Amino acid sequence: MRVTEIQRFCMHDGPGVRTTVFFKGCPLRCRWCHNPETQSASQQILYDAARCIGCGACAAACPVGAHRVGADGHVYDRTECTACALCAAACPTGALFQAMREMTEEEVLAVVERDRAFYGEEGGVTLSGGEPMAQPEAALRLLRMCKDRGIGTAVETCGCFDPAYVPALAEAADLLLWDFKDGDDARHRENTGVSGLPLMRALIEADARGAQSVLRCILLRGVNTEEAHYLAIAELWSKLRHCRYAELLPYHPYGGAKRRLLGEADDGREDWIPTPEELERARDHLAARGVRVRDLGR
Amino acid sequence: MTFDAPNGLERPVRLSEATRAFAWDSLRHKYGQDTRKVMDVSLDDAEGFDEMTPLERYDAAVARIAETAPIRLCEGEKLSGAATLGRAIGHQVPAVRNGAAICSSVSHLTLDFGVVLKKGLRGLRAEAQEALARYTGTEREPFARSCVSCLESFSVWHRRYLEALEGRPEFADNLAVLRRVPEEPARNFREALQSVWFTFAFVRLCGNWPGIGRLDVLLGPYLEADLAAGVLTMDEARELLAHFFIKGCEWICGGNYGSGDAQHYQNILLGGIDEDGRDVVNAVTWLTLDVLEELGISDFPTTVRLSRKTDPALLRRVAEVMRFGGGILAVYNEDLVIEALTKYGYELREARAFGNDGCWEVQVPGATCFQYIPFDALGILQHQTLRDYAEDVDFPDFESLYARFKADLTARVTEICRSYEAAFWYADVPGGDWGWKPQMPCTVVSLFERDCIARGLSYFEGGAVYNVRSPHLGGLADTADSLYAIKKAVFDDRKLTLREFFTVLRNNWEGEEPLRQYMLHHYEYYGCDNEEADAVAARILDDFADACDGMNGRCGFRFPAGVSTFGRQLEWSKGRLAAPHGRHAGEVLAANASPTPGTDLRGATGIIRSYCRADLRRMVTGAALDIRLLPSDVRGEDGLAALVALLRGFVALGGYFMQPDVADAAVLLAAQKDPASYQTLSVRVSGWNARFVTLNKEWQDMVIAQYAKEGR
Ligand code: SF4
Ligand code: SF4
Repeated sequence: MRVTEIQRFCMHDGPGVRTTVFFKGCPLRCRWCHNPETQSASQQILYDAARCIGCGACAAACPVGAHRVGADGHVYDRTECTACALCAAACPTGALFQAMREMTEEEVLAVVERDRAFYGEEGGVTLSGGEPMAQPEAALRLLRMCKDRGIGTAVETCGCFDPAYVPALAEAADLLLWDFKDGDDARHRENTGVSGLPLMRALIEADARGAQSVLRCILLRGVNTEEAHYLAIAELWSKLRHCRYAELLPYHPYGGAKRRLLGEADDGREDWIPTPEELERARDHLAARGVRVRDLGR
Repeated sequence: MTFDAPNGLERPVRLSEATRAFAWDSLRHKYGQDTRKVMDVSLDDAEGFDEMTPLERYDAAVARIAETAPIRLCEGEKLSGAATLGRAIGHQVPAVRNGAAICSSVSHLTLDFGVVLKKGLRGLRAEAQEALARYTGTEREPFARSCVSCLESFSVWHRRYLEALEGRPEFADNLAVLRRVPEEPARNFREALQSVWFTFAFVRLCGNWPGIGRLDVLLGPYLEADLAAGVLTMDEARELLAHFFIKGCEWICGGNYGSGDAQHYQNILLGGIDEDGRDVVNAVTWLTLDVLEELGISDFPTTVRLSRKTDPALLRRVAEVMRFGGGILAVYNEDLVIEALTKYGYELREARAFGNDGCWEVQVPGATCFQYIPFDALGILQHQTLRDYAEDVDFPDFESLYARFKADLTARVTEICRSYEAAFWYADVPGGDWGWKPQMPCTVVSLFERDCIARGLSYFEGGAVYNVRSPHLGGLADTADSLYAIKKAVFDDRKLTLREFFTVLRNNWEGEEPLRQYMLHHYEYYGCDNEEADAVAARILDDFADACDGMNGRCGFRFPAGVSTFGRQLEWSKGRLAAPHGRHAGEVLAANASPTPGTDLRGATGIIRSYCRADLRRMVTGAALDIRLLPSDVRGEDGLAALVALLRGFVALGGYFMQPDVADAAVLLAAQKDPASYQTLSVRVSGWNARFVTLNKEWQDMVIAQYAKEGR
C-alpha cells in the first residue's frame, strides 16, 4: 500500500489515542486540500529549502540533472524529474524527502501495534489520507488485521470509492469519519472535481448497514457558509441512524505550506477562513435542526 | 486576579476571594521579599563560642534563631508559623558569627511528620530525655543533649507565636489550634495541618529543605473523620489546605536566583497504596488536586502514585490538572517502584510506604539518610574511553570499544562509592571494623528521622534506618546515541573508519557538515522507539546497575543506581566535545532519562516506549522522563483521553517517573529559534498536520499566532 506518513499519538482522529495512517492518492481535487501531498497516487519529492545546506549530494545522485548547486545556491528544477527519489536518499539533511512510502499491510500493522499500550478501550488505528478507500483491498485487509487483534478501527473517507465496497467497509471499521463538503452539488463539482451525490448515497448505505459515523464538515467562508448548506447537512443527518455527531472544521490555509514543498504555488486563501461568528452561526443553525455538533478537539 | 496557566487554559474558581488574594500576594513575592529583609541571626555576642564543639555551636545557632527570628503573621492566614530568615532560602543555617555562616543545612530528605501528629513534641521530648538518660556518659551523649536542646528551641519559637497571636481576635482560631499543636498530638484536620505546617516551617527556618511526603496519608484520616462527624465541610477543608500551599510560597522572591526560586524540594506525594496494600486515596488527595488546579502553585512539586489499579476517576482528574501545564503534576508508576525496592532488599511494607527525597528520588521517607552523586556518563565516554578522540585511539570492533567504556563506567562508580565510604566510615575493608566518622551537625532534621533519637545518632552518622548513597548517571541518551552512532556508521555500515570519525569529531565537524547532517538524520536514536538504539541505553543502565550492586553491602551504605541530570546538562555542556550523533561541542544535550532534543521523531508514545525498554527496576532511586505536549494535544475531551492514555501506557510499559508538560506558543517560538531541537513538534489544526519546523517563517508565525489566539 502507498502511504505518506504514519502518525502516532493522534488525539483528534476518532476516540482515544490513535495511530493515523495517511494513504497516498485521492480521487478528489479539493481546492482547499489540507494535505496536498496525499492527492496524487504516485511518488512526489518534497523540498524544504530552509533545510538545505547546498552540499550538492542531490546533484551528484540525480540521473537527469534536476539539481544544480552553484554559487547561487541549490536550484531544483522539476521539469525532467521522474521522482525516482535517489536525491532524497542522498540528501543528508532531510531537505529532500519522498512523499510516498510503499509498505505492506503487515509493516503498517507493526507500527500500529507499537502503541497498543496506549489505545485502551477506545483508541486504535485511523486510516486517513488521501482517500484510504482508493486502495480498497489494502485498506480493508489492514482494518481486518487490526480488528482481529482487538485494535479499534476508524476510517476517514470522502466517500468517493466503488460502492461495492461499502458493506465490507461498514463491517471492518468501528467508526467512519465521513467528509461532507458541500450541499450545493454544482459547487461541489467545481471545487472538488466530482459530484457529491454518490458520496452521500454511499454514507447512507453504510449507515443502513449499521456503520457508526461522524460527519466532518469543512467550513469555507464565502464558499459554503450559507444556510442552504447547513440545511443539507441537517437533511443528511436526519437520514442517518448511527451518526454520533457532526464536527465543524473551519478552513485554514496551511495546506499551502505543503504545496510550497511540492514546488507548487502556495494557494492558501486567508479569505476562506470562517470568522468565529460564522462558526457560531453554523453551529446554531445545525443545533436548531436537531444536529448534534461538536467542535474538533473540544 | 487570574492565575496563569502556561497554556492559557482558564482555571476554575472554588476558593474564597480572600484566599485567592492571599495566594496572589504570596505568588507575587510579597512574603519572599519580606523574608529577605532579615537574612540571619548573629552569634557575635555568644559567650564561649570559640570553645564550643561544632554541635554546641549548632545548638546555639538554633536557639538563637528560635529566640530572635522575626515573627510573621499574614493577614487572614489560617495557619501560622513562618520561615522568616533569608539565608535559609539559600540552603544555609541562617546564623552567622563575624559575618560568616556557622554551618550548612540539609536537603534531599522527607521527614516523618507523622510522628509529630501522633506523639506531638511532648512525645518527642520524652524520647529525647530518655535517650539522654541512656547515653549519658557515652560518646552518644552530645547528640542526645543536642536533641533535647533543639526541641527546647522549637518550643521557644512556638511560645513566641502564641504570644504574638494573643490578643489578636482575628487570629483567635489560629491561637486555639496552636495552643494544642504541635505540642500535643493532633485531633482533627485543622490541628493536623497546622502541626505539619508549623514543624515544616521550623525545620525550614533553620535552613533545611525537607520534603513533605505523602500528604494524603498524613492528613486524610483526620479530614475523613471530621467530614464524617460533620464538623467540617469539603469547602472549608479546601480553604485550609489552600493556605498550606500558599504559605509554602513564602520563599518566592522574584528575580533570577541561579536555578530559580520556584522550589525548595518541598515535595508532596499523593495516592497509591499504604503499607498493607490498601488504596490511600481520600478527600485530601482530591482537595490537593483542586488547589493545584486553581492556584497553579508549583512550589510543592507534587507527584501522584499511579498503578494498574488506579481508579479511572483519579486518573482523569490527574490529567485534568496536568493539562494546565507547568509540569506541576508528575507521576510514579508505583507497581514498578515497589518492585524495584523489594528486589533491592527493602521489606514490602517499607517499599509500599515509599516517598521521595524532596526531589523525585525515591526513598523510604522519614527513615532514610539520602545523598545522590551525579556524574556525566558522556564525559566518561569522551574523555576516558575515547581519550578526547586522540589519534592513537582505535578499536577493532564495537564490542571491544563498549567493553572499555563499561570498565571506565564501573571504575567511576567504584570510585564514587569508595569516596563516600571514606568520607563517612573509618574503615573500607569488607568485613572489617566499620565505624561512622563524625559529620556536620544536623540535629533539627534528625529529630524527625526514624531511629535517630533512639539510637543517639544523627541523621548523617548512622541514626537513620536506611543510609543510601545513590550514584546518578547523567547523559544517558547522548552516551547511548554516541555509541549507537559509532556502531552503525563505523562498524555496521562502514561509512567511515573510527580514526576518520575521530578526526572529524576532534575538529568539531568543521568542514564536515554533510556528514554531521547524515549522522543527525540517517539513524533513529534513543527516543524514537527503535529497538536497536534503545538496547544500547538499556545495556548501559544494566552495566551501571551491576557496578552499583558490586559496591553494595560493604558497609552500612546502600548504593542503588539512578538516572538524572536535573539542570546539569547545562553546566556539563561546557566540557563536552563533539558527539558522534551529529552534535557540536558544547551543545546542551538530553535531560534526565529523556531523549536528546530533536531526536524524538516518533512523538510522546515513542519516547515512552524507548524509555521503558530499559529494565527501570534496576534504577532503584529513579529515572525521570520529561515529556512535552502542546495545548492542542490535550485540548477538550479528546485531549483528556489522550493524556489519560499516556499515563496508562506509561504504567503498563514499566515506566518509573514521568513529568508531562503542556506548553504554549512560547514553545513554538523557541522551536522557531532553534528548529534542530524541535524536529518533531507537530502542529495540528483541523485535520491538517505538519511538522512545525518544516514550515517557513511566515507560516510558522501564522501558526504561532494561531496558538497564541487559541490559548486565550
Ligand atoms: S527524484 Fe530522481 S529524478 Fe527527481 S530530482 Fe530526485 S534524483 Fe532527480
Ligand atoms: S542534498 Fe540536500 S542539503 Fe545537499 S544540496 Fe541537495 S537538497 Fe541541499
